[in-house]
Amino acid sequence: MERSDIYIICIEDEQEVLDAVVRDLEKLEEQFPIETATSAEEAREVIKKLLADGRKIGLIICDHILPGDNGVELLIELHQDEQTHPSRKVLLTGQAGLDDTVRALNQARLHHYIPKPWTRQELMEVAVRLLTDYVIEHEENILPYMSTLDAEKISESIRTRRSISDE
Amino acid sequence: MKSGYSGLTPVQLTGLLLGIFGLILPFLLPLGTLSFAGQIGLGIFFMAAIFWMFEPIPIYATSMLVIFLQIILLSSQGPMFMDAKLPTEKPVELQEQTWQIPTRALKDDNTVLVAVEPGKTEAVRVDVIERNGQHVIVRSDELSADKAIVSDTGHRLVNYKPNSYTDYIGTLANPIIILFLGGFMLAEASVKYNLDKNLTRYLLSPFGSKPRFIILGLMLVTAALSAFMSNTATAAMMVTVILPIIAQLEPGDRFKFGLALSIPIAANIGGITTPIGTPPNAIVIAALTEYGKSISFTDWIIVAAPLVIVMLIFSWWLLLALFPPSVDRFNLDLKGKLNLSPKAIGLYVIFGATVLLWVTENMHGIPSSMVAFLPVAALVTGRILGKNDIRNLPWDVLWLMAGGISLGIGMDKTGLAVWMISGFDWGAMGYVTLIIVFGLVAVGMSNFLSNTVTATLLMPLVISLHTSGVMGDNFNLLITGVVIAVACSLAMALPISTPPNAIAMSTGIIRTKDMAKVGVIIGTVGVMLTIIYAIFYWPLVTN
Repeated sequence: MERSDIYIICIEDEQEVLDAVVRDLEKLEEQFPIETATSAEEAREVIKKLLADGRKIGLIICDHILPGDNGVELLIELHQDEQTHPSRKVLLTGQAGLDDTVRALNQARLHHYIPKPWTRQELMEVAVRLLTDYVIEHEENILPYMSTLDAEKISESIRTRRSISDE
Repeated sequence: MKSGYSGLTPVQLTGLLLGIFGLILPFLLPLGTLSFAGQIGLGIFFMAAIFWMFEPIPIYATSMLVIFLQIILLSSQGPMFMDAKLPTEKPVELQEQTWQIPTRALKDDNTVLVAVEPGKTEAVRVDVIERNGQHVIVRSDELSADKAIVSDTGHRLVNYKPNSYTDYIGTLANPIIILFLGGFMLAEASVKYNLDKNLTRYLLSPFGSKPRFIILGLMLVTAALSAFMSNTATAAMMVTVILPIIAQLEPGDRFKFGLALSIPIAANIGGITTPIGTPPNAIVIAALTEYGKSISFTDWIIVAAPLVIVMLIFSWWLLLALFPPSVDRFNLDLKGKLNLSPKAIGLYVIFGATVLLWVTENMHGIPSSMVAFLPVAALVTGRILGKNDIRNLPWDVLWLMAGGISLGIGMDKTGLAVWMISGFDWGAMGYVTLIIVFGLVAVGMSNFLSNTVTATLLMPLVISLHTSGVMGDNFNLLITGVVIAVACSLAMALPISTPPNAIAMSTGIIRTKDMAKVGVIIGTVGVMLTIIYAIFYWPLVTN
C-alpha cells in the first residue's frame, strides 16, 4: 500500500483517549498517515507544518473540551481557512452542549458527530465514509484508494464522473 | 496509469529527457534515403513513442503535442516550409544529348531528379562526361530542355509536398472521431439517466441465481454494454454490481477471483464488437478509410462479433475451470427502477434509433458518422444533456485518437513509413506469418502500452506494406488492420494493460498473478483464434 499525502489529524487532550482513537484507525494509517495533537494550539502548528510541506488534510477528528480554545472554535476556524476548508471534520465528544453542537453544525459544517463512548466499528465507518467523499471530491487519481475505502462508491464515481477513460 | 501521488518519478524524468533527445536524434544519424521531412517525422515519432511509453506527460497531452509539432514543423504554412520552393533549373543543351547541369543537381549515384509535379520527382540516369567546379557535363537521352531538373538534390522539398496544417488539426473532426463523439454523448446520457444500470438489471435477470450462469450473464452484459459505451465506464459500473455478490462469499473463497476478473475481461473483449467499442478500432478504421478500405458499421460487427462471442465463452469456461463456484446460489440484488421522465424516454428513443441505424448501415447506406450526429444534435436539442454534461465528455480520448490519426498522416506523407519498412525483406515473410507476427506484437505491446497507442504505432507500417506493394497480391490491408485492432484489445495480462484491469485490481480482490495467468492464456488463445478467423472467415465477409 502506497502512503498518500492525505493526513488524518486527531485532536484530544487525554492521552489514553487519543491512543484509543489512533488504535481504532490503524487500518487506515498505512495509506493515510495520522498526526496527533493535544490542544488547539498544537493542532494549528501540526496542520500548518503539513500544509507547508505540501500535504493535505483529509480528516480532522476533534474532541470538544481542550485546553485553550475548545474543539468547536478550532473546527470553525479550520472551516473558514481556505486550505482546511475541504477537510472532513468530526466532533468526537461526550460533553458538548446543544449550543456548541449547533454552532459546530452551522459554522464549521461539521460532517459527523460521534458521541463518546464510541465503538471501533463506528469510528472506522465514519472515517472511511468521510475519506471516500474527500478523495472523490479532491483527488484526480482515486484508484489507489479503492481497496481501503468504499470501493463501490469510488467505482460509481468513476462511472458518473469519467475520471478514468479508455486509452 | 498515473504513477504515485505527485511529481515526476525517475522513470518519467528519464522518459522526458529521452523523448526530447529522440526528437533531434534523426538529425544526428546518417539515415540514407530518408528525406528532410522524413527526419522531422521520425523525430516526432521517436518522441511520441517514448512519451507514450514512459508517460512523463499524460498520453492525450502527447497526442496534442504531436499535432502541434506537425503543424509547426511539417505543414506548408509552418516556418520550415512556408516560403520554401523547390529549386529547379532547365538543363543547358551543349550538343545533342549532352547537357550542362549544376553540380548539386547530380546525385552520388549519377542520377538527376526531374521535377514531375509538386512533391514528386523522377530519377534519371546520366553519364558524366566532365566536371568543372560549378557545373557538370553529362550525357543523357532522357533529359530535355523544357523539363526542369532539381538544382539542389539535398533540398528539403525533394520528394515532399507539405500538407496544409488543416489536415493535421482536422483530424479532430475526422468522421471516425465524430462517430465516437456520438457514442460518447449517448453514453453520457445513459449514465445520467441510469440507463446502463437499468439495462444491466433487466439483462441479468434471465440468468437466475446459479453462480456459473450469473458469471456468464455478467460477462455477456458487460461485453454488450462496452460494445457501445466506454470499456472503463462499463467496468466501473459492473464493479458496483459484483461487490455486493463478493461480500456474500466466505473470505477465503477463490470464486471471488473469477467474479472480479470476469468484468475487465468481458469489458476489454466487448470493445472489439463495434467500431465505437474502443479507441484502437478508430485508429485502424481511420487509416483503412484513408486508403480506400472503408468498413461499414454493419461489416465491422459481422467481422468482429463471432470472434467476440467465442472469446467470451472461452473466457467463461476458463474462469470456471480455474475458480470453480463454491456455493449453489447467490442473491443478485439490483436496486433501482427505470426512469420514465420525458427526457429519459427521449434518451431511450434516440439511443434505440441510433443503434438501429448504425447496425443496419449496409441496408440504408447512410454512413455511421453521419448517423452519429443524430444523438449529438438530438440530445442537446431535447435538453437531455446540458452544458455541464457536454463539458464532462471524455475529450481526452478524442484528442488521443486525433493525435494518433495525425501521426499516421505525417508518417505517410513524409515518406517515413515507407522508409521504416524498407530495411527488411517483408515479401519473404509471407502474408500468414506477417499477420501472426503483427497480432503477437500488438498484443505484446499493448499489454504494456495504451491500446490506442499500440494501434497508432503499428498501423503506419501496415499502410506502407500496402502502398509499397512489397507483400504482393496476397496481402489484405483490411484484414491485417482488423487483426491489429483486435489484438490490441486482447491484451489484459497486467493491471496496467487497460483501465478496466486497473479498476478490477484496485478493488484489492484479485491477485496480480491470477490476472497475469488468465490474461496470458486469453491473449494467446485470442490471437490464435483471430488468425484462424483472418484466414478462413474474414475473406468470406469482406471484399
